[in-house]
Amino acid sequence: MGGGFAFGFHLPAVNAQNVAPEINAWVVIRPDDTVIIRYARSEMGQGSMTSAAQLVAEELECDWNKVRVEYADTNAQVRRKRVWGDMAAVGSRTIRQSQDYLRKAGATAREMLIAAAAKEWDVPAAECTASSNVITHGLSSRKTSFGKVAASAAKLEPPKEVTLKDPKEWKIAGKPVKRIEIPDIVTGRIRYGIDAQLPGMVYAAIAQCPVFGGKVKSVDAAKVQGRRGVIKVLPMQDFVAVVADNWWRAKEALKELPIGWDFGGNDSVSSESIMKFLRAGLDDQSDVMVAKRIGELEQGMTGAAKVLEAEYFTPYLAHVTLEPQTCTAVIKDGRVDVWTSTQNAEATHAAAVATAGVPLENVYVHRMQLGGGFGRRAAQDYTRQGVQIAKAMEGTPVKMLWTREEDMQHDNYRPASLVRLKAGLDAAGNPVAWYSRVSAPSIIATLLKLPLKEGIDPQAVASFADQPYSIPNVRIEYAQRNPNVPVGFWRTVGHSQNPFVRECFVDELAHAAGKDPYEYRRGILPASTKESGVLEATAKAAGWGTSVPAGVHRGIAVTEAYGSYAAAVAELSVNDKNAVDIKRLVLGIDSGHVVNPDNVIAQMQGSAVFMLTAMFWGEITIKDGRVEQSNFHDHRMMRLREMPKVEVVLAPSGGFWGGIGEPGQAAIAPAICNALFAATGRRIRSLPLKNHGFDIA
Amino acid sequence: MKNGRVKLELPVLADNGNSVSMKVSVESPMTEADHVRAIHLISERNPETRMASFHLGPRAGSAQIASRVRLAGSQRVVALAEMSDGSFWMDSANVVVTLSACMDETG
Repeated sequence: MGGGFAFGFHLPAVNAQNVAPEINAWVVIRPDDTVIIRYARSEMGQGSMTSAAQLVAEELECDWNKVRVEYADTNAQVRRKRVWGDMAAVGSRTIRQSQDYLRKAGATAREMLIAAAAKEWDVPAAECTASSNVITHGLSSRKTSFGKVAASAAKLEPPKEVTLKDPKEWKIAGKPVKRIEIPDIVTGRIRYGIDAQLPGMVYAAIAQCPVFGGKVKSVDAAKVQGRRGVIKVLPMQDFVAVVADNWWRAKEALKELPIGWDFGGNDSVSSESIMKFLRAGLDDQSDVMVAKRIGELEQGMTGAAKVLEAEYFTPYLAHVTLEPQTCTAVIKDGRVDVWTSTQNAEATHAAAVATAGVPLENVYVHRMQLGGGFGRRAAQDYTRQGVQIAKAMEGTPVKMLWTREEDMQHDNYRPASLVRLKAGLDAAGNPVAWYSRVSAPSIIATLLKLPLKEGIDPQAVASFADQPYSIPNVRIEYAQRNPNVPVGFWRTVGHSQNPFVRECFVDELAHAAGKDPYEYRRGILPASTKESGVLEATAKAAGWGTSVPAGVHRGIAVTEAYGSYAAAVAELSVNDKNAVDIKRLVLGIDSGHVVNPDNVIAQMQGSAVFMLTAMFWGEITIKDGRVEQSNFHDHRMMRLREMPKVEVVLAPSGGFWGGIGEPGQAAIAPAICNALFAATGRRIRSLPLKNHGFDIA
Repeated sequence: MKNGRVKLELPVLADNGNSVSMKVSVESPMTEADHVRAIHLISERNPETRMASFHLGPRAGSAQIASRVRLAGSQRVVALAEMSDGSFWMDSANVVVTLSACMDETG
């Protein structure tokens, strides 16, 4: 394939992007007909770099084989009044929130290229068409190429309005195009943040206070200063860095370095104390906020034939990107260059500006491939550290790299959450009242430090406040409880945990009603909901209701997440040693439109690996104010041979743009746990499964 | 209210709205007869529209304040100077907070 991936060791000054004719900020066409499409957000395996380019290429009517994708440069972004808009690859929103302006950029460029050709031929532009990099004047059969007219097209005024294609007419978008960066990944050509290499570079290892919120009190630098390779010991306010001529020496010296910490009184926090704190939030009426109210809950409960109650718990989770946090930076003559893996290059730029104290225009961010993101690389703590170290070593490039242990113990964790549920069923077993009280930290209040609207963190109550079932009396409450553990956006965020709670509890209701879990959901899901459609498509593909071999059981779940609708059916058996053999995992997704079906399938499969890892083994526990887990020996991941077959059902219903990177995870844990109930009669109300004695077969 | 005499400095980009450096300076001799009585900071998007008021007098010597402010997202911030003669002067600045939040809705 012709797609290449231009990545960022070269400085923007010598970058091709300033040389070839730029039709608009997104499209550059070289005289040799190469089409360079700029990509503003980040690529971290979610495939959006390819999908975004497909949308531009579709409207541009270019030859996909001539497309190259190049990252939009943050320095140009700040000089050009943020011409590329939001650069964040978060919230499954790269495609759904860029599609409009990306398609318009492609269409606008196409119109300008056609106009340039028409002008040259002195014919009306309306008589000309573009296809596969070629512009044709139908009446005279004259042809020219994009490359030939690009320079004159670049000088034209862009049309004010363009008409976008109906997705039904797509030729490049909507097709299973190969991912642009994959050849560079498999040939080892791609450069991750950890691969940054500069002449004269030195290395830094860092230690942050093992107790959250602690500060550096004392550092006995003399103890390691004579060690081989050690260049400098840098005590900062909340971390200590050792700089050496290679990273191993820096890391080993750091281990020997006596550091006194001020724990700030937080060294007695434990998982037990946190649980007690969250539990109190279930009953405390003093600060509880109501996230959703329909009908009269108490009345509904009083009139119910049967009332069910349960408590569910989901633990703190670490992101554990395969590439630990890293940042390479050099500050020289007032200019700052940063090489790093980031989910938001513009935020990296802003963090570097603030940390180095230089003008906006003096920072250059060189975007490296991300060795995993999952929401971890949205926060810029590591950029600030890297730039802080580079500032102390002015003139010398420094690569800062965290150890795996540092990474696992200094994350912004997926919040732990304790939920109390209560439901009232009528005589037919249908829910007439539903109550949820979520006692959990707020990411928005503590990480982003943003004010909460009406005291509600929408992520904490996600999939409760917006549940799709027709229940006449509903009350969803939120008790904000922020223990001393930093929290952040972990792939699928609130939808990574609350659908497990909601959909398992719905299963409890179905069981109490003596109904089939699928039929029960269908009975209470309005037919007009997208959830109903994707549930049906998934159940059908999974053969729900058909017979299974003895000992094999099914579980089902459905939810909205990130503008898409996801359903899952798990088929499994459990042996006498509690080893779970997942025979099949069928994942259905309705994302409205599908830009790259092959990539959507890959995202669903990747979501399964990520969620199965989390639900079987994932938990971060706290003792003496510190994280107990440290590396893969005590934070187990799914292994290749353990991975079940994942079948993906694409059920796009059109008319809207949903996310893809995150929704796939949402329905998996409840489908598996509901199948476990069918298989064992044990209702799983907390994760991970290892704490219930389950392992994967 | 007039534009001028006030200079509000805020970064154009901030990766986090939690702690954004801010500086306001007002041209004034700061004498008994002619000084800045107060500097007010107004936010377009924070829950508290009146972010801060700094009261000054001639003995302040210079009409300059520097601090850190919390911003609830991208917005325009206005600095108002209240003069001893009763006139008001202003300046404004636009800040983009590059929120990187995996939220369902637009950040």
